[in-house]
Amino acid sequence: MSERLEVRVVTRLPGFTLDVAWTAGDGVAVLFGPSGAGKTLTLQCLAGLLRPDTGRIVVDGRVLFDSTAAVDVPPQARRVGYVFQGYALFPHMSVAENVGFGLRQRPRAARAARTAEVLERLGLADLAARRPHELSGGQRQRVALGRALATDPALLLLDEPLSALDAPLRRALRDELRAILRDWRTAAVVVTHDFTEAYRLADRIVVYDAGRVVQSAPRSELLWQPASESVARIVGIRNVLRGTVVKATPDRIQLRWRGQLLEAVNSPSRSYLPAPDSPIAFFVRPEYVRLIRKDRGPADPRHHMNLMEGTVVGDEDFGTTWSLRIRLDAPGTPAQGDYDVEVEVPHLVYEILEIDRDRRWQFSIHRGSIHVLPA
Amino acid sequence: MSGDTVSALELSLRVAVLATVVNAVIGIPLAYALARRRFRGKAVVDLLVTLPLVLPPTVTGYYLIVLLGRRGWLGAPLYQATGWTIAFTWYAAVVAATVMALPLLVRTARAAIESVDRDLEKAAYTLGRSEWRTALEVTLPLARNGILAGLVLAFARALGEFGATLMLAGNIPGRTTTVPLAIYTAVQTGESAAALALVGILTALSCVVLVVAGRLGARAT
Repeated sequence: MSERLEVRVVTRLPGFTLDVAWTAGDGVAVLFGPSGAGKTLTLQCLAGLLRPDTGRIVVDGRVLFDSTAAVDVPPQARRVGYVFQGYALFPHMSVAENVGFGLRQRPRAARAARTAEVLERLGLADLAARRPHELSGGQRQRVALGRALATDPALLLLDEPLSALDAPLRRALRDELRAILRDWRTAAVVVTHDFTEAYRLADRIVVYDAGRVVQSAPRSELLWQPASESVARIVGIRNVLRGTVVKATPDRIQLRWRGQLLEAVNSPSRSYLPAPDSPIAFFVRPEYVRLIRKDRGPADPRHHMNLMEGTVVGDEDFGTTWSLRIRLDAPGTPAQGDYDVEVEVPHLVYEILEIDRDRRWQFSIHRGSIHVLPA
Repeated sequence: MSGDTVSALELSLRVAVLATVVNAVIGIPLAYALARRRFRGKAVVDLLVTLPLVLPPTVTGYYLIVLLGRRGWLGAPLYQATGWTIAFTWYAAVVAATVMALPLLVRTARAAIESVDRDLEKAAYTLGRSEWRTALEVTLPLARNGILAGLVLAFARALGEFGATLMLAGNIPGRTTTVPLAIYTAVQTGESAAALALVGILTALSCVVLVVAGRLGARAT
């Protein structure tokens, strides 16, 4: 099955080259990555506002750009809706005029009917006569969405749609935006540099770094199987660590890290078999590290695999959880500055175990929670 | 007021209004092109439009004679073809005022157009508008106050034009003598009452223009 959206774009600018290729199916594709990675540039190429040097862009089987066939559909004829960062609402027009702006070719009555329908559907009917400067941030976002959606675009582009909003509003509007995108069933491409936002909105996440795509995957796959150490770092995974391979089999990998012998699950489907003594990167989610309770007797290595011992050298309160930075007793430089592993525990656990007083802890990591990253 | 005074006033207003209209027709598209388009020779066009702002008006007038005079680059063929020359007619006063006022409009309007958020234009393109329709429906309406302020300044400049007008149109009473030229003549010939009346009228007009332009400018920002 061919995908709804095929993008292949090369653009050379002074001091920056965008060279990306990815595809997306139905739903929302999020372009995620640090600022300056080329995400907005890609949107502008999709909308026809920027002409790539070479490449090919296909939406729903319709070729919008193809450098080898000299196809370059102008933005006016692409049927691609664009929600700009900061929304770009026309300040000299009312909400209704903004939403109806893209409907000029239609007869007056049809235009009015469609405008009214869109306003109603987005809960903007009462604001039809207002000017953009009289609206709240959330209302502006809905007007910008309405203006783009009124023309029934084949593809909707959103550039950092939530960045213009205050933090508390962002969260509420992120979910509202998600609901609107699901409700209208328009294929959409959203640009963001906030991973939580990306994860909440996306069906597929395309990770950008320095003008290239480093991974394109369904969102859960990205979170549990990042393609490389650098992707893991870009998406903000914590405890990304480096060790040495001892032995690799199709279903287990033994590795040495900070003087410890650790055992991790290998995925047979991936059949990743690095040679002994080669370097290997892996990560451990802070919430998957288990502290060993001292009131239950000595730890049993048969139940507690990958057992280690260390000192809490720092902790931070995140409201509902505590983040502990633990330094191993092993000699040598700690793996992450002044600590080796970050461990996250719920508030209740922190209080019951009296971690604020007691800083010496044994902990274990299940082999299934050590995720090996392909080199 | 004497007949000469009235005719000078009437001529000055006619010249200034016409020069402002020509300015609007030439200057607004020019300002848009300079603000938004890339084209060959843009730097030269920008220089030529701005030059009258810094050149002594008599120098600008001299160039206009070289260009439009009876033996000028454009004036000579025109004279040979029709036996008519623009020099020393009231049209020459309109040309001189237009050229002298153009940089004020173009610079003000260009800055106003450049301050319009480009994302608004891009949004209009993705919503199906051509560049032409976008300029008419989005860019120019949003730059309106700056453009109007530029037109007011251009009108004031045209009304007060002296040097270039004298060079190209001369100072023929009843035909090319505008108010600034009439003031000069009145002072030279010792008609201080006439001079004072005209000076008062021009000062009052200039004050009105400044206030209007200031209000428009304030609203533009």
